Amino acid sequence: MTPFLEVKDVRKAYGAIKAVDGVSFDVGPGEIVGVIGPNGSGKTTLFNSILGQIAPTSGHVEFCGEDITGMSPLELSRRGVGRTFQTLQVFVKLSVRDNLIAAAQEFKGTLGGRLFAKPDAGLGDHADQMIELFRLKHVAHLPAGSLSYGQQKLIDIAMAFMAAPRLVLLDEPCAGVNPSLVDQLHDRLVELNKTQGGSFVVIEHNMDFIMKLCPHVICMVEGKVLAEGPPAQVQGNRAVLEAYLGN
Amino acid sequence: MGDLIHLILSGTATGAIYALAALGFTLLWQAAGVINFAQGEFVMLPAFAMLFFIAVGAPLWLSFLLTCAVAMVVLGYGFKRVIVDPLIKHGVIPLVIATLGLSIAVKSIVRAGYSAEAHPFPSAFPAGQLSLGGIAVSYADIGTLVLAGLIVIGLQMFLNKTVTGRAMQAVAQNTDAARVLGIDVKRMVLYVFLINAVLSVVAALLVTPTYLAKFDMGDSIGQKAFFAAIIGGFNQTRGALLGGVLIGILENVVGFYVSPAYKEGVALVLFLAVILFRPEGLLGKAEERKV
Repeated sequence: MTPFLEVKDVRKAYGAIKAVDGVSFDVGPGEIVGVIGPNGSGKTTLFNSILGQIAPTSGHVEFCGEDITGMSPLELSRRGVGRTFQTLQVFVKLSVRDNLIAAAQEFKGTLGGRLFAKPDAGLGDHADQMIELFRLKHVAHLPAGSLSYGQQKLIDIAMAFMAAPRLVLLDEPCAGVNPSLVDQLHDRLVELNKTQGGSFVVIEHNMDFIMKLCPHVICMVEGKVLAEGPPAQVQGNRAVLEAYLGN
Repeated sequence: MGDLIHLILSGTATGAIYALAALGFTLLWQAAGVINFAQGEFVMLPAFAMLFFIAVGAPLWLSFLLTCAVAMVVLGYGFKRVIVDPLIKHGVIPLVIATLGLSIAVKSIVRAGYSAEAHPFPSAFPAGQLSLGGIAVSYADIGTLVLAGLIVIGLQMFLNKTVTGRAMQAVAQNTDAARVLGIDVKRMVLYVFLINAVLSVVAALLVTPTYLAKFDMGDSIGQKAFFAAIIGGFNQTRGALLGGVLIGILENVVGFYVSPAYKEGVALVLFLAVILFRPEGLLGKAEERKV
């Protein structure tokens, strides 16, 4: 399978501290890859290095054969790369529906056309479908900031998929979400993977969630890849257990 | 009672002008994190620009349009590129100092390079008064209210009902998320600077017939616009409107019923009261910021 995303020997150092230390991995088209590791293992720094939020000290990132190392989030977004953050990133004063439209409107029409476009930018139906998919219909008209943390998390994730990105990096999608919504979130991601066909890379501490969702898991410790492979194999790896539980 | 209604109406008209300048303050803060202490001078300069175009033979409406175009280039694009862009990465304080310096520099240049005198400015509205149920209201007040109202409603509709307006709101509410979602943050921020420039020209058109075109005319309006923005809530465009109108009305009422000597202090007293008892502003919401 031709790699879709290739991360090649990416390093990020802050002085003497090596936050990411020579990480390499591939993601294939439509593949869901999980990234696990204890706090401080460099997972989010790796995401930020891939996505242009910070410049890696060395290494390369290729997406569909193109070197995207150091590209800005805007340029990556234009190439079909989306992400979610650990913390909520919704537009709190906009309604749920407007949040979803805002998440994809820049991909429709020209600059001049957007100035005179319909208020829903032609995305109203798609936004409604996404609202339906994430079971947010009863709150669709409410300002996002007035909803519970879990609901805002669902909006956040739905927004990342509005423009049908080819690759989405999800940073702790289950953080702060109650267990009943975690199951719902798993089902929605599986459905989106099937319908939109994009590839996902998911950082998560919820082991049940990630083992169920991801056919391929990477475990990072101290900025390095400690183990990777199918979930059961990584879960049974002695070094991984020691990294989590200590010696 | 008739006096009070008259005071409220004319105060609302004056307050609407403060509100226009205050609106620029809040838009710049929300979208770009910029506090522009030269906002008063952004009103003064267009007044002189319009006088220049009038002096070379252009009618007032054409002078206004030409000044809008020049202001968008100089006070919008130029201000952003020359002052804001190089300093914004160093935080708010350097920008505050820079805009304070800009304010002093612009005033000094106009005073030394052009004139320290006050220059009369033509009104966009006819002289005279209209009697509404025994209450006399000047055409200037009615015109100011209508024009400022249309500008404010138009701006609100643009922000809430258009694709670009929603993108500008998204940038104001969460810049990082907007960037990741493909919204061109730089362009949206530029639009805000251009809108601020046009709002300044409209404020100049409305306020200069009363204040007269003078190098220091921006001191008062800039200060009141800043107070209005704080009073209403710096993170709310509606707050700027409320703050502006409140100052305008209270200035008139205090000036008439207490003493004209206290009129200029009204905005300051209101500002202090809000800072002490409701620092987020009357319509504002407390915000968390990472430091």
